[in-house]
Amino acid sequence: MPEWLAALKTTVGEDRVLDSPVDLVAYSYDGTFGQGMPAAVVLPETNEQVSAAIRTAGLYELGVVTRGMASGLAGGSIPTQRDIVISLTRMNQILEIDEENLTVHTQAGVVTADLQAEVERFGLFYPPDPSSIRQSTIGGNVACNAGGPRCLKYGVTGDYVLGLTAVLADGRILKTGGKPIKDVTGLNLRQLFVGSEGTLGVITEVLLRLIGKPKYVRTAVAHFPRLEDAAQLVKVTLKQGLVPATIELMDATAIACIEDAMHLGLPLDIEAILLIECDGLDEQPVQNDIETVAGICTECGASQVAVAKNEAERAKLWHARRSISPALARQAPNKLGEDITVPRSEIPSVIRSIKQVSVKYGLPVVIFGHAGDGNLHPNILFDRDKPEHRETVELMAAEVFKIALDAGGTLSGEHGVGSFKLPYMRQALGTTSLNIQWRIKQALDPQNILNPGKVILPS
Amino acid sequence: MVAAEGLAPTRSTEEEVRHCARCGLCLSACPGYRQSLSETDSPRARVALQKALREGLLDLSDEGVAEAYFRCLLCGACAFVCPSGVAVDRILEVAREELSRKGYLPDTLAELTSRILQYRNVAAEENADRLIWAENLVQPPTGLGKNSADVVYFVGCVASFFPRSYTIPQSFVQVLDRLGIDYALLGGSEWCCGYPLLLNGDVESARELIQHNVEAVQAMGANTVIFTCPSCVHFWRQAYPQVLQVDELDIRIQHATEFLADTLETNDVELGEMSLRVTYHDPCDLGRKLGVTEAPRSILRRMPGLQLVEMPENRENSRCCGGGGNLESLSPELSGVIAAERVRQALAVNAEIIVSACQQCERTLSAAVRAQHLRVRVEDVVQLLLKALEGIDA
Repeated sequence: MPEWLAALKTTVGEDRVLDSPVDLVAYSYDGTFGQGMPAAVVLPETNEQVSAAIRTAGLYELGVVTRGMASGLAGGSIPTQRDIVISLTRMNQILEIDEENLTVHTQAGVVTADLQAEVERFGLFYPPDPSSIRQSTIGGNVACNAGGPRCLKYGVTGDYVLGLTAVLADGRILKTGGKPIKDVTGLNLRQLFVGSEGTLGVITEVLLRLIGKPKYVRTAVAHFPRLEDAAQLVKVTLKQGLVPATIELMDATAIACIEDAMHLGLPLDIEAILLIECDGLDEQPVQNDIETVAGICTECGASQVAVAKNEAERAKLWHARRSISPALARQAPNKLGEDITVPRSEIPSVIRSIKQVSVKYGLPVVIFGHAGDGNLHPNILFDRDKPEHRETVELMAAEVFKIALDAGGTLSGEHGVGSFKLPYMRQALGTTSLNIQWRIKQALDPQNILNPGKVILPS
Repeated sequence: MVAAEGLAPTRSTEEEVRHCARCGLCLSACPGYRQSLSETDSPRARVALQKALREGLLDLSDEGVAEAYFRCLLCGACAFVCPSGVAVDRILEVAREELSRKGYLPDTLAELTSRILQYRNVAAEENADRLIWAENLVQPPTGLGKNSADVVYFVGCVASFFPRSYTIPQSFVQVLDRLGIDYALLGGSEWCCGYPLLLNGDVESARELIQHNVEAVQAMGANTVIFTCPSCVHFWRQAYPQVLQVDELDIRIQHATEFLADTLETNDVELGEMSLRVTYHDPCDLGRKLGVTEAPRSILRRMPGLQLVEMPENRENSRCCGGGGNLESLSPELSGVIAAERVRQALAVNAEIIVSACQQCERTLSAAVRAQHLRVRVEDVVQLLLKALEGIDA
């Protein structure tokens, strides 16, 4: 047994270290098609064990790749042979739900859906709802600053992080933030770790702000013959001061893809379907809100608007949106799902430009997203077993990123950078920003052992 | 190879593996993963291992490969939730088949195979002793010693040989007698249905058992065969016609709950008061795999005073009791913690009784209840139904 492995087993406990070929394959991937075999896997249960693993890695100059359920979409938790993987899934205790201060203190490995269900038992609400909510952990959500449909009204994961515990590259355990809502005592270190994707420290505990649970939700679906009119609906609604929880967009490519796979009877001669939800404390105001939005839809040129009267109808309206993933999977074995975010006003022109990329390169692109916050998911469909596809996908992704940046947008709204988006970072952020990020990285991780080769590169 | 070719193939397993998007949603549905919390115990890993095996990154003989596939309940929850429609259950069955064929079946499971082939039952008991459970009933079941009947009750190995499960056939024959059904018991002519061999990746060895059982039922002149065991009925319905290379058997194959729900409805049978708060645990082979979820519930709803509460994971989304896939033989610890979790879910809805329709679920869940000293009973639908029928006479 190599010396580093023996040391790892001694410091964190033999039964918490996996190193069989089968285990290494099991920990070699994330939610993408990428893959890399790690040197070993650690399944810690305490902050101290995480610290011991990191110290050992530092001693033997091994990288540390942290993961929860590995549903990430940017290659952020894919290891290399020189990395040990720290899987936090067994750190899954909810430590405290504070009903007085509306906070929850939890270990990082709790599944986000479980956390949501648990706080809801107390009538409380943790709003962020990434679509991977059942197969991602809260630690991963914080490390990637996950979003989701509800973020239009409620904000993203980072907006709920009051404090966190992170194990640093030298093994020290940092606790930052706390229950006070306002806190300007020094730099805001907790937000530095939000979205850092395991490059600055290993987040092992988080303290989250909660709100009261909205009791009523009403849903509407509108068909728009013209994309521009759908964009207009978003603008007019928000300008009126009405903030729906969700405005989801499916463009013509998504509608065609769903219809092709699922035969739901969706019209193929329209450019967009919007799915809108309003929520709140009392039934009548929520009902008024959704009817107001439905009215605006019609004014903006919707050819058809439906408002769900009950939960069954709501489920029906969501059916098309929920069918996108299965439909994509039936079209091609692989997909590259991006999550560019652009100013809302640019959505129509950006979608049209992406469609041209699809025509130019000949691979289908299916576009849907969160219209309310300009976050689009163009999914390039391909077959990884065809080498020519792999090259084409790279070229297409580069063009999609350029379109987003030219429109004043950004590479990623909620998936993160990981390794997949690294080549585009200079273009997106510029030299000065990259240089500052690298210096922050060096200050916290001088040996560059934490998720090396991801997010932040030497500059 | 029957399993591989058998259970509704649409794409090759290579093609299925290629379509896994690695989204990880199956982890949320996998009872084994949810307890072990290690990716190695996940459906996604088992799919990835197939890919690694094909690409030469791994070899079947590598430590942990066989264990990865046999430390699984084959409960089918992963395939059910897969948004990409990947037939993970088929991938798992084919993997077991390959491991078995190439000699990597774990020892405890290999012993099970040879037991079944030698004794014609899973218990390594004298097969002629299949009806011991019938001996101490006050009224001998009318189905004993018949040469012909419309209906055959196929008891299954566990209920025939494991004393803790005797109550299920004992209750069921009394129910049949009270309802005046003309049925027969096969006794020593009943052989293991062959399902455990499918779980061991060796359906081919089940051929003789399958042929024998069909002939035994036909010899009774029966048009219907009824099962209290969901695994037997699932296997009879799905594998028997394929092994015998027919479109469908010339015999109606029904689970006891389907048969009883029909009979109670047709004859408008009145039941006695049952003031109980119960939850129904759907057996994987009955609910998710055969879609029989409403028949057992309709029987329970006929009982006056009975309050049926659902666990959040119910019907096709039911969570396996821990007793599936022969996991119990390989890893009783993992099987035990999975069962304990299911019991916890039942307690969370304040059920007094966990009702199921499977002797294996009943056994696994009861063991967890005993191990944890919990205050909840586990009973089969037929047990409750017998009490409700007796209640009318009382």
